[in-house]
Amino acid sequence: MKIYTGSGDRGKTSLFSGERVSKSDPLVEAYGDVDELNSILGGLAASLPPEEGELVEEIQQIQSVLMHIGARLAVTPGSPVSAELEEITEEHSKGLESAIDRMDESLPTLKDFVLPGGHISAAWAHVARAVCRRAERHVVRLPTTQTASEDSEQLRNVVVYLNRLSDYLFVVARLCNQIHGLSDTPWKK
Amino acid sequence: MKPPTSKEQDVQIYCTEVLDRFWLTDRVFEIKLSKPSTFRFMAGQRIRLLHGAIRRDYSLITAPHDPTLALCLKMIEGGEYSPILSSAEPGTRLSFTGPMGYFTYRPSNKPAVFVATGTGIAPFLSMVRTGVTDFTLLHGVHEAKSLYYQDIFRPAARLYIPCLAADADETGSGENVFRGRVSHYLAEHLAPNAYDFYLCGRQEMIRDVTLLVDEKFPGSLIYTEVFY
Ligand SMILES: Cc1cc2nc3c(=O)[nH]c(=O)nc-3n(C[C@H](O)[C@H](O)[C@H](O)COP(=O)(O)OP(=O)(O)OC[C@H]3O[C@@H](n4cnc5c(N)ncnc54)[C@H](O)[C@@H]3O)c2cc1C
Repeated sequence: MKIYTGSGDRGKTSLFSGERVSKSDPLVEAYGDVDELNSILGGLAASLPPEEGELVEEIQQIQSVLMHIGARLAVTPGSPVSAELEEITEEHSKGLESAIDRMDESLPTLKDFVLPGGHISAAWAHVARAVCRRAERHVVRLPTTQTASEDSEQLRNVVVYLNRLSDYLFVVARLCNQIHGLSDTPWKK
Repeated sequence: MKPPTSKEQDVQIYCTEVLDRFWLTDRVFEIKLSKPSTFRFMAGQRIRLLHGAIRRDYSLITAPHDPTLALCLKMIEGGEYSPILSSAEPGTRLSFTGPMGYFTYRPSNKPAVFVATGTGIAPFLSMVRTGVTDFTLLHGVHEAKSLYYQDIFRPAARLYIPCLAADADETGSGENVFRGRVSHYLAEHLAPNAYDFYLCGRQEMIRDVTLLVDEKFPGSLIYTEVFY
């Protein structure tokens, strides 16, 4: 199957729920951010040493959840297609919380703001964190996030997940420096 | 962290057996397969046949409640897999994964327009066998003898329009034949309105129809299944 179709050459794209929308549509911006985040997580996973297999696997599980979130964001609320999608649940965010707690145990207590950077893997994690925050802002901006319906509930779960994921990525960045024997550089005001 | 495993991660491989195979034209054949007892699907979905390192997707043409499975395939000259399947004798064992895909019929208050090229008619056959009626169907083929399954589609469709290549021999195609591409038919004859379009087959057709819908049928939905 060819990669290019040409049906988006005139600035429109097809949502998973069938609508043709402008590529500047808020939904497209939101799932574009999630795609960008997912790609950066690929960079993060690729920058980790082989002995960090478990962390890589954890990141790949997150990538898979982000694929589901991307699909969810490519569906207009109320579409019958919603029912066919994988649900984003509290369990997804809870999984991130326990991972954060687990990693945090091995890290020194944080007293200052730290500069994003250090080892290349930590730098990737910080880029991912910042893009994750942008994705979150774009999802929050979707009008339906504020209304009460099943789709809105799903979007609210997505917001919780992205909020937790940026915290997770912050901790991963610190862990990446620790793994490589580096300490975080404090912000000297 | 262990989020719930997603559906596509736990892939189940099913075993099946060729029950029958027959030619619909000199290039297109139907192959009937036994249905594994635990296999369930929705009309319009596809399976992925596994053959060594080869993986090929095919839409199911039977209804979910039918006792067997069936596929409609074009034998591609020089193709890697379809020639193998075109000579598979009854009793041949195959394995597959699935079902896959989201190309299913979604009832709505907009009129449905099904557009297929060649074997792209396959998923619509499953939908019709599940009771879907009252749609407009365009089937783009090179010649009239490739209008396989027209006897099933004609009674179910509100309008069935075979679209034959401009130079095709028309015998046997019945009334309402259009000479030219499916996208030309839509541009020239489909009344301006918002529709639910279901497009299946060649990528070029899907692109042409999509761009036409943007221009001429705003407010429509487009669901697609690209074969190649
Ligand atoms: C979602 C999906 C559903 C599909 N369902 C069907 C189906 O129901 N019936 C079916 O016949 N095929 C279907 N296909 C195509 C099928 O998967 C194979 O690509 C096809 O059988 C050719 O495989 P091959 O190994 O023989 O040829 P290959 O060696 O893989 O390729 C030969 C070339 O044949 C062309 N080609 C592929 N499929 C077709 C076709 N159907 N008609 C004309 N030219 C083609 C392509 O240009 C391809 O590059 C589907 C594909 C996808 C992605």
